Amino acid sequence: MTLALHVTGLKKAFGPTKIIRGVELQVARGERHAVIGPNGAGKSTLFHLISGRLPSDAGQILLHGQDITGLAPHDIFNRGLARSFQVTSLFPRLSVFENLRAAAMRTHGCGHAFWRRLEGFAPLRRRAEEVLSLLGLERRRDVLAGALAYADQRALEIGVTIAGGAETILLDEPTAGMSRAETERAVTLIRRVSEGRTLVMIEHDLGVVFGLADTISVLAEGRVIASGPPDQVRGDPAVRTAYLGAAAETLA
Amino acid sequence: MSAPAQTALARPQSGAALRAMLPWVLAALAALILPHVVPGGFGLSLLCRMGIAIVFALSFNMLLGQGGMLDFGHAVFLGLGGFLAMHAMKLADAGWWIPLPALPLVGAAGGLAVAILAGWVSTRRAGTAFAMITLGVAELVVAVVLLLPSVFGGEEGLSGDRSSGPPLLGVDFGTQIQAYYLIAAWAWAAALLMWLYTRTPLGRLANAIRDNPERVGFLGYDAARIRLLVFSLSGLFAGIAGGLAALNDEIVTAGNMSPEASSAVLVMTFIGGVGTFWGPVIGAVLITFLSVALSTVTDAWQLYSGLLFVAMVVWAPGGISGIILAHAPVVRAGFAGRLAPAYAAMLPGFFLALAGTLGLAELGFRLQSVRNGASPRPVFGMALDPQGVLPWVVAAILLLAGAWLLRRAAPAAREAWQEASVMAQVQ
Ligand SMILES: Nc1ncnc2c1ncn2[C@@H]1O[C@H](COP(=O)(O)OP(=O)(O)O)[C@@H](O)[C@H]1O
Ligand SMILES: [Mg+2]
Repeated sequence: MTLALHVTGLKKAFGPTKIIRGVELQVARGERHAVIGPNGAGKSTLFHLISGRLPSDAGQILLHGQDITGLAPHDIFNRGLARSFQVTSLFPRLSVFENLRAAAMRTHGCGHAFWRRLEGFAPLRRRAEEVLSLLGLERRRDVLAGALAYADQRALEIGVTIAGGAETILLDEPTAGMSRAETERAVTLIRRVSEGRTLVMIEHDLGVVFGLADTISVLAEGRVIASGPPDQVRGDPAVRTAYLGAAAETLA
Repeated sequence: MSAPAQTALARPQSGAALRAMLPWVLAALAALILPHVVPGGFGLSLLCRMGIAIVFALSFNMLLGQGGMLDFGHAVFLGLGGFLAMHAMKLADAGWWIPLPALPLVGAAGGLAVAILAGWVSTRRAGTAFAMITLGVAELVVAVVLLLPSVFGGEEGLSGDRSSGPPLLGVDFGTQIQAYYLIAAWAWAAALLMWLYTRTPLGRLANAIRDNPERVGFLGYDAARIRLLVFSLSGLFAGIAGGLAALNDEIVTAGNMSPEASSAVLVMTFIGGVGTFWGPVIGAVLITFLSVALSTVTDAWQLYSGLLFVAMVVWAPGGISGIILAHAPVVRAGFAGRLAPAYAAMLPGFFLALAGTLGLAELGFRLQSVRNGASPRPVFGMALDPQGVLPWVVAAILLLAGAWLLRRAAPAAREAWQEASVMAQVQ
């Protein structure tokens, strides 16, 4: 079985500060994989390295066995990996619908065409409508993304990430800053959109993590200190001291 | 997704398409009728200039408003398109079979070629770096043009005769009205093409890189490649404007691609409004009219268009079309009546400040020419001495009093506007 993602010896420093210090990460195809760890552990940086936003200093990243180390973000996307951002990153002056349509253009044969009408791409429009209703944002269809409420923007952030139909999806703290009810809705959404795909998700809400993830990796001090099924990670003494602490007691 | 839901989501296409074409039909009718409404040869040549400016400003807004790219040297594409078209016109003079109506195509090819070259350098970057590079490229191109007098005619530029080529169906385009209809047809078609482009995948991608170039990369597109394509197309349409200018003026000089020409298109596009497709059309018409009408009355007209530009940047960054767009829902909801008194209360201050500004500007210009030994021309029909103190004091007082009145009236107007727009939204 090839892994969806296989990261070996990955390193990244910002100036003298070593943030990622040799990360090893294996994500099986089709699993829901949570990456947890204390604030500032380097989780977002790890996503930046995998998705090509930042160049790594050392190490290798394989996507379905293909080396994607050092590729530009658009090349990595075109090999089947899409990601969301911890800080919402949308097209604020485009409508919700146009955000979704733009997000799906690459995988629906639009290319850079300037001689064909956008409306003429029927499967593209259907895909955008489909994601729109998946997000439950039908009534916000023509609202500018910049004018959406925070939770709706977070939902759209997920929608834009998955609209292209990528096989491997990276979500960076999709529920951050949400209320209880909004988090529950987001989890349902994430469960649905990751059906039959590979999901890697950074999440600090342990309730969400243990409810959703097949595998959990714990990142602390620039390394993955534990990786495995939730029960195993929960019981890992290194994890308890490094990170989980009191939260693990209550969950045990 | 279920089938009924899909049919519910499919919206009627043909009705919307017809409604979208209506402005284009009206524009074509207006272009047909206008020369018979506007008086004289002066009006006709003004209309020709407007048509050229419209194409130029729309091509500029493909970059600025739609793609978030500020091009400080856009006149280069118009200029080089114009030069190439002029060479074609000269070939036609020399007996080659080049139909005159096709000259803008030659201009388009010239604009496209230069834009691909310049864009290859500039579009690797976005934002400020991009703007700086366009400025540098423009300086460079103008310098090269002046260095090659055998190709570009040096300071005098190149001139030709549009009517000396072979007549087409008995029309030789010698008269201004024939040239007008040719320019109008081209301007209409070019504008329509630029509008259609906004509804293509590339047109939407341009909006996406304007809003958030980084995210585009994570959706599978190379932002630099999108910028290069958009830049090239924009150069193509600027080249069409250049071909039209060559046709209309029968002369092309380095002045056509000067920094002044580049900033003029920025000013007219911004004043018209970059946030809508049609905003630059308003700006092109208005600024062309002002530049022609005011320049016959005052030497200071560039100062006035500059002041208008600054005022827009500060108080109405959406330009005229932005103001129209913001007020449309309020007017449609029937709340215009609520706004009118508050807005009218601003008029006295506005006119006082305007009078003061005009007075100061005109006095300043007179002072310069009087110092150079000329006798003072009257200011608005009044024989004022720019070297005296009194006129300056009066103008300054007018300006200050106007500004003070404006400041006093502004809060009420703002409040009325906010109230009306909230109520229009609620409706
Ligand atoms: N571009 C950068 N330059 C310098 N330091 C950075 C940069 N990005 C992140 N960092 C630092 O790296 C550390 C890890 O950040 P991050 O990956 O965002 O952590 P988290 O695990 O909370 O997502 C933090 O201390 C942060 O300040
Ligand atoms: Mg983070």
